[in-house]
Amino acid sequence: MSALVLDGLTKRYGPVTAVHGASLRIPHGQFVCLLGPSGCGKTTLLRMIAGLEDPSGGRLLIDGRDITTAPAHTREFGMVFQSLALFPHLTAGENIAYPLRIRGAAKAEQRKRADELLELVRLPGVADRPVSKLSGGQRQRVAIARALALSPKLFLLDEPLSALDAKLREAMQIELKQLQQRLGITTIVVTHDQREAMTMADLVVVMSQGRIHQAAPPMEVYRQPADAFVADFIGMTNLLEGEITAHGAVAVPGGRLHLPNLPPSGPVLLSVRPEDVIVHPAGLDGPNRLDGTLSFMRDLGASVEFRIDVAGREIVALTRPQDRPPVAPGGALSVEFPPAACVVLPPMAERPQ
Amino acid sequence: MIRRAPRGLAEHAPILFPALMLVVFFVIPFSLMIAVSVFRRVPGGFYEPDLVFANYERFLTAFFGGVMSFSLGLAALVAALAVGIAFPFTYRLVRLSRGAQIRWLVFLLSILSLSEVIIGFAWSTLLSRTAGITNLFVALGLMAEPQSLSPSFGALLAGLVYQAFPYTVLVLYPALARLDPYLEEAARTLGSSPLRAFFTVVVPALRNTIVATTIMVFVFALGSYLLPQLLGRPQHWTLSVLITDQAIYQSNMPFAAAMAVFLVLVSLALVGLALLAGRREETA
Amino acid sequence: MNETTGKQGLHAAMTGGIGRRTVLAGAGALAAVAAIGFPNIVRAQSKTLKVGVYGGYFKESFEKHIFPEFSKATGITVEAVAEPTGEAWLVQLEQAARARQAPADVSMMSQVAMLKGAAAELWAPFDLSKIPNAAKVVPHLVNKYPDGKVSGIGAVSWYITLVTNTKSYPQAPQSWAALWDPANKDKLGLLALVSNSFLLEVTAATFFGGTKHLDSEQGQLDCFKKLAELKSNVKLWYRDEAQFEASLKSGEIPMGQYYHDVTGLAAADGQPVRSTFPKEGGILDSGSWAVTRASKAGDLAHVFVDYMCQPSIQALLSRKVGTAPTIDRKLTDLTDQEFAAVSSDIPPIIPRYDLYQSKSDWLNQKWTEMIVG
Repeated sequence: MSALVLDGLTKRYGPVTAVHGASLRIPHGQFVCLLGPSGCGKTTLLRMIAGLEDPSGGRLLIDGRDITTAPAHTREFGMVFQSLALFPHLTAGENIAYPLRIRGAAKAEQRKRADELLELVRLPGVADRPVSKLSGGQRQRVAIARALALSPKLFLLDEPLSALDAKLREAMQIELKQLQQRLGITTIVVTHDQREAMTMADLVVVMSQGRIHQAAPPMEVYRQPADAFVADFIGMTNLLEGEITAHGAVAVPGGRLHLPNLPPSGPVLLSVRPEDVIVHPAGLDGPNRLDGTLSFMRDLGASVEFRIDVAGREIVALTRPQDRPPVAPGGALSVEFPPAACVVLPPMAERPQ
Repeated sequence: MIRRAPRGLAEHAPILFPALMLVVFFVIPFSLMIAVSVFRRVPGGFYEPDLVFANYERFLTAFFGGVMSFSLGLAALVAALAVGIAFPFTYRLVRLSRGAQIRWLVFLLSILSLSEVIIGFAWSTLLSRTAGITNLFVALGLMAEPQSLSPSFGALLAGLVYQAFPYTVLVLYPALARLDPYLEEAARTLGSSPLRAFFTVVVPALRNTIVATTIMVFVFALGSYLLPQLLGRPQHWTLSVLITDQAIYQSNMPFAAAMAVFLVLVSLALVGLALLAGRREETA
Repeated sequence: MNETTGKQGLHAAMTGGIGRRTVLAGAGALAAVAAIGFPNIVRAQSKTLKVGVYGGYFKESFEKHIFPEFSKATGITVEAVAEPTGEAWLVQLEQAARARQAPADVSMMSQVAMLKGAAAELWAPFDLSKIPNAAKVVPHLVNKYPDGKVSGIGAVSWYITLVTNTKSYPQAPQSWAALWDPANKDKLGLLALVSNSFLLEVTAATFFGGTKHLDSEQGQLDCFKKLAELKSNVKLWYRDEAQFEASLKSGEIPMGQYYHDVTGLAAADGQPVRSTFPKEGGILDSGSWAVTRASKAGDLAHVFVDYMCQPSIQALLSRKVGTAPTIDRKLTDLTDQEFAAVSSDIPPIIPRYDLYQSKSDWLNQKWTEMIVG
């Protein structure tokens, strides 16, 4: 089975290291999102895969073949650039047929393939239009069609949808996913939009400061974040710093929680998603509950958001409207952290933003 | 801001000054030149107002036709070489770090500040037998004995291209700096080697810029009159050299004016072509 | 070195060439002319004479060595006016004269300009009885109207000779014919214009028995034909004197025509160059003093020209400015060495200025076609 293997890929620019030893195995046909804040190294990593940057270290293999130093034009990967990089002097059809022209294909064949691809991206009949006469969404599709013209082994996209408005972006996410499933092509998308990553990807690769923090399916990344950065970056979470006490319990500000699967001792970090936090009226006793006061509350329609002050720390909780306790801001509450919802993380050296 | 056509003198004021300058520094001198070109030359004197076309008739001979076509051919060759060298150079330049770019641009501007005379002298020394570059070749064992390479067509060409090069780079710079750097990379991911990507994408994408720049350098080279004297042999003297001869040494202003009018008309026709090319780019 | 380059300005100005410093000086002269349109009240009271000389080195030399002595001797103050190059000064004088204005009372004029001015009767005739020293001036340096009246009197003269690089030519050439020697292929530097190289005259003197041969058009064509034979020997047809001078010194262009006195100064500086008077003679070019008919200071102008023609002043000019005396050398106290530095006893080739007045366009066209074609 063909697969792309990143083995300790590293990129340094002088004293700055953009990518620290990225290792990853991407099985054939996977849809992968490289996700992270801007400047995390995700685009550099994608460009190394494309052959547009020379790695400073590590190896890159496809189907067991080492292509670390192969020039970009020999790799036969299709790539969609953030700016789209459509050739302004060519029509939509000529843009798509460009790689065929470079390989010396006959004019008729070029035209046939361009029409096929325009059909594929649902943009028939624009082959003869100059690219400057196309809308943003249409250009997007032309760029995708061009990258797919040679049926590449690998389909790379650098922030492909960032230039589109929100509605169109949503539609294109679905379409891109469907297209990828239809073609079964291994696809790597760089994005800083976690929603985009979560909706499209089979495998989300979360990156920060040049390192891969976690590479896992979207739900796993969400439910089982590998560390505090991932927990905080993907969705919203409550992070609680605690110290393990002797009998399988964690002392946190405002009380003590009893959890399974704790390491024997030392400091830990707990991540609890707001929708997992249960809010109770004050004075009702139960396990894993901490007392606090309601500092702020807002109705989001499908849910109600509570911000509760527990021993000086703000805890966020989301509740269905019908489960909302009768309390006004300033009133006393208690919050429950169900053990199954608490993810135990290694303690952080420094807290990500 | 409401955009509407300006009304009244006060609102037209901003364009009055440039319009006035254009009239004072171009329209009036050019009209005077056209007028002088049909004046009657007084042999041994200067000229008298008249309406004669003898000056144009004198120009329309095989001799001046030959000089004119040499001048046009030389200017075309200079333009092609200058753009041919400056385009890839500038393409690399805009990708350098900011500091390196500034150093290069300062260097190029300092070449621009050199007078034509200094450039001519420097090149004739560089290409001389006694102090020139062939002595270096001899020292390196590449040549048996030093040779004189100037004056010659090659020396003239080198001097003119050298002089035009900074202008060319500065004119190309903005367009190349604005060009999406990912175009070339896109072409590479689509199977073009870097060289092929340059010629199949970068060059065609900037076709109109290249055409306009070539025409500018062409007109610039057409006006050169000092370097052909310093670096060329008489058969390499351009029409501008002969105009200078007539105007300054022969005091034949009507004839000099007739030749200059012809040269200006050719230049204007080419500027017109450049504008046409620019308009097509806009509609593209 | 500074002096040599300065002299180029002088020669360029006098031969109608254009040197950089003379262009600048010309701009200054235009400004000066603009200011002269006003009535000269101050000048009428004190004795002041406006003397036009070519800008740059020439004007500086005259102001330094000549004019102060003249004022001391005569009580006349000299106001030096820098002349622009080419024929612009002639045109200015003509236009000013029509308005009865004199931008300068006495001007130093090139020989072609003298002829053109004479054709327009621009020059006030000199009264030789008021210029006793004029009798000493050699006859060919006295300009005359067709009726015999004197329009100008020789001011300065200088030689253009056969120059060689001594390293390339251990033996000095003897004749202008060396320019035609096939052995000198691609070795010559010659002046680029018919009206400043005087090569037609050289050809006539060397191969056709003298410049009289140029009287007829056939004779002129003969000379052009002969001249065309030396084209392959010419490496550089120069307009810029500094370019040739540098090439001569380095040996890059080891032979050519150049100014005798400038070459001598370079040789004295240790440069491997020499100036030779060929047996056919050096080319003697000159400038004359002439008074515009609009001048109201004619008497003072006569005093000035008389002063300039004195043997002691001519000797001073030879020593300080590098010009050949306009009078018989025996009247001066120049030593043989001093005389040889600026002149020669070999009879000179005197340019046919009349041709450059009457057939200027034709000669220029033929010349250009000859060297460009």
